[in-house]
Amino acid sequence: MIQVLAFYLFATLVIASAVFVIMSRNPVHSVLWLIVAFFNAAGLMVLVGAEFIAMLLVIVYVGAVAVLFLFVVMMLDIDFAELRAGFIRNFPLGIAIALVLVAELVLGIGAERAGALKLGTPDGTAAPLMDRSNIEAIGALLYSRYLFLFESAGIILLVAMIGAIVLTHRERSDTRRQNISKQVKRRPDEATINVKPEVGKGVQL
Amino acid sequence: MDFAASLSLVAPEILLSTAGLVLLLVAAWAGDGASRAISIASVAVLAACAFMVAPALCSGAMGPDTVAFSGQFRADAFASFAKLLIYAAGGAALIVAPAFFERVHAMRAEYPVLILFAVLGMGLMVSASDLLTLYIGLELNSLAAYVLAAFLRDDERSAEAGLKYFVLGALASGILLFGMSLTYGFTGTTSFEGIRAALSGTISMGALFGAIFMLAGLSFKIAAVPFHMWTPDVYEGAPTPVTTFFATAPKVAAVALSMRVTLDAFGGQVAAWQQIVIFAALASVIVGALGAIGQTNIKRLLAYSSINNVGFILIGLAAATPQGASAMLVYLAIYIAMSVGGFVAVLMLKDADGAPVEGIAEIAGLSRHRKVLAACLAMVMFSLAGIPPLFGFWGKFVVFQAAVQAGLVPLAAIGIAASVIGAFYYLKVVKVMYFDEPANVAVGKSDWAHQALLAIAALFISPLGYLLTRWLGALADKAAAALFLAA
Amino acid sequence: MIGIEHYVVVSSILFVLGVLGIFLNRKNVIVILMAIELILLAVNINLVAFSAFLNDLTGQIFAMFVLTVAAGEAAIGLAILVIYFRDRGSIAVDDVNRMKG
Repeated sequence: MIQVLAFYLFATLVIASAVFVIMSRNPVHSVLWLIVAFFNAAGLMVLVGAEFIAMLLVIVYVGAVAVLFLFVVMMLDIDFAELRAGFIRNFPLGIAIALVLVAELVLGIGAERAGALKLGTPDGTAAPLMDRSNIEAIGALLYSRYLFLFESAGIILLVAMIGAIVLTHRERSDTRRQNISKQVKRRPDEATINVKPEVGKGVQL
Repeated sequence: MDFAASLSLVAPEILLSTAGLVLLLVAAWAGDGASRAISIASVAVLAACAFMVAPALCSGAMGPDTVAFSGQFRADAFASFAKLLIYAAGGAALIVAPAFFERVHAMRAEYPVLILFAVLGMGLMVSASDLLTLYIGLELNSLAAYVLAAFLRDDERSAEAGLKYFVLGALASGILLFGMSLTYGFTGTTSFEGIRAALSGTISMGALFGAIFMLAGLSFKIAAVPFHMWTPDVYEGAPTPVTTFFATAPKVAAVALSMRVTLDAFGGQVAAWQQIVIFAALASVIVGALGAIGQTNIKRLLAYSSINNVGFILIGLAAATPQGASAMLVYLAIYIAMSVGGFVAVLMLKDADGAPVEGIAEIAGLSRHRKVLAACLAMVMFSLAGIPPLFGFWGKFVVFQAAVQAGLVPLAAIGIAASVIGAFYYLKVVKVMYFDEPANVAVGKSDWAHQALLAIAALFISPLGYLLTRWLGALADKAAAALFLAA
Repeated sequence: MIGIEHYVVVSSILFVLGVLGIFLNRKNVIVILMAIELILLAVNINLVAFSAFLNDLTGQIFAMFVLTVAAGEAAIGLAILVIYFRDRGSIAVDDVNRMKG
């Protein structure tokens, strides 16, 4: 019973916050609603026993992706009122299309019968080891069977890093930077000079 | 299959990723000054990889010996054929880049590294025999491609191309992924073999939805109608060497991937996807032909031409026979040569200051002062139009033949009619070059590397190409046999 | 226990909301990027739910890869957005009329 309640709570909240993500006037609010959506989706995942993915979702999305979004929204000075100009015009058509799509998906996949969906039968090659915890089972699978893809995923992250740096990094000439080797190389005789100023006059450096 | 054997099957991928990492370090160490050297090294790496995959193609490798990592990766003759084309296209994109980027002081050492990683991703795509491998390869390729599209970051058009490509590409990935999740759920497995086995009876509604969503996502990646809208903008806005890359390598990879998904994973349910493929093929052929009329920018024109060509390639897929698959591979090989030739010729069009010329009006009368270039460009155009003495005709011929043999006579007939319409705009370019009053804009000198590449491409699509038909056909047949054995 | 169809319905609705968000906010690239994240979230819910109901871990591994790639995709998308903003001083995509056709 508590599970059913929790499911409906999380499901309602995740959908409601998704609606707010795409509807809010202010992108900062959108980001915050996105975070709410992720938390609730993580709740849904915990309900089916996938606690590792749920935690990952919170850490990666809320901790990294959402913060990245917030950072960019704040960094760019954007006139958001102007961006909403087409919103009202697209609204009725968009909603109509969305309703049709949802109906098709739900009917098509067969959920309207409210009976059990007929899923496929796994071939058993990757079945979870029931006597282990979720994270242990995932780890055992990830570092053996899926090792090759795991490494490839590492390369994807590397490409993302190279890409972000290539695109946004620029040498700026108007900033003053610390040059440590230059500081270390400095000798006392070039760093200080002795002058004897006349009384009442300043020094010319 | 044990781990060591698996590793030996992915040797080209290991070499590519190691080379990418080492060259990245070199790039970090030596700076942008070393970009030419890094490009040359990257071409050498691609050549080495080509030698590594060639034996599998020549021996027609297929069956369980080619499967690595418990069914996630398949290094058979089909994958080798596609990889050879991809490596060639990647090499071309590396060779043409330095001269173009150095003029605007934007040649950066990361360019060859990103190309290498994109090629690695495409290698994974064509070797995928599992939805996970498919996704990882596709995204590795796409992420590198988004960056490459926006590579001229101070150029508004390039940034815009990157943004459009990214938004639509990410949407397509999402749709594809949703389809994959449904397929997984309703078949209970992610391996193509398993999906095929699970769908041997009737297809459940959920799996059908999965297949449709996957096809929609894939048709974005191959730029087939109705998911082609991004192509002209991205091809026009991206730097021309990157456009050369986009028009060739990712297209091969995505088409090969679509072949694996439809003929292997969903190969038992041809009726479920054949109508969709026929529609996409016809719509692409027609939209590509009609959209090109009235274009004033030659890169946009070539973009519509690529949509048109994808349509012809999909006609082979609609046949769903080994002959169709073999015809598609032959067409792809010829298409690569034509595209490389076309875009290299565009790269060679420069005004007196060396700035690129892209307007069709500006190449009027090109034949007077750049005779060889005009002749090569004319040859590419005639070949794209499929006019008989040139090799482009052969590609269309084998595809139509396969379609007719599979009983799709109306499809082939409409395809032939559309290729006649399509010939119009190709011929218009030739007319502008040869018969219009000279505009004397495109007078700049070209790089020797461009000339060499154009010469190779022109030689391949010239009537001399027919000397290769027997050989090319035999290799394509071996590759198609491997694909259908896996299926 | 809640049936799988409930999860499929939730993820279908999320998916459609994501697609809708892209169409409604055609000018606002940041919200478009968030809508794409919603689509990926829908996929993840689907994968994890199927994985649990099929008693097969592949779906969860798949979800992990999707998460990884989504993080990389967000980074690249925002980087492209930043350079676009630098060049034009705006992120409105409908302004994109330099290239037509």
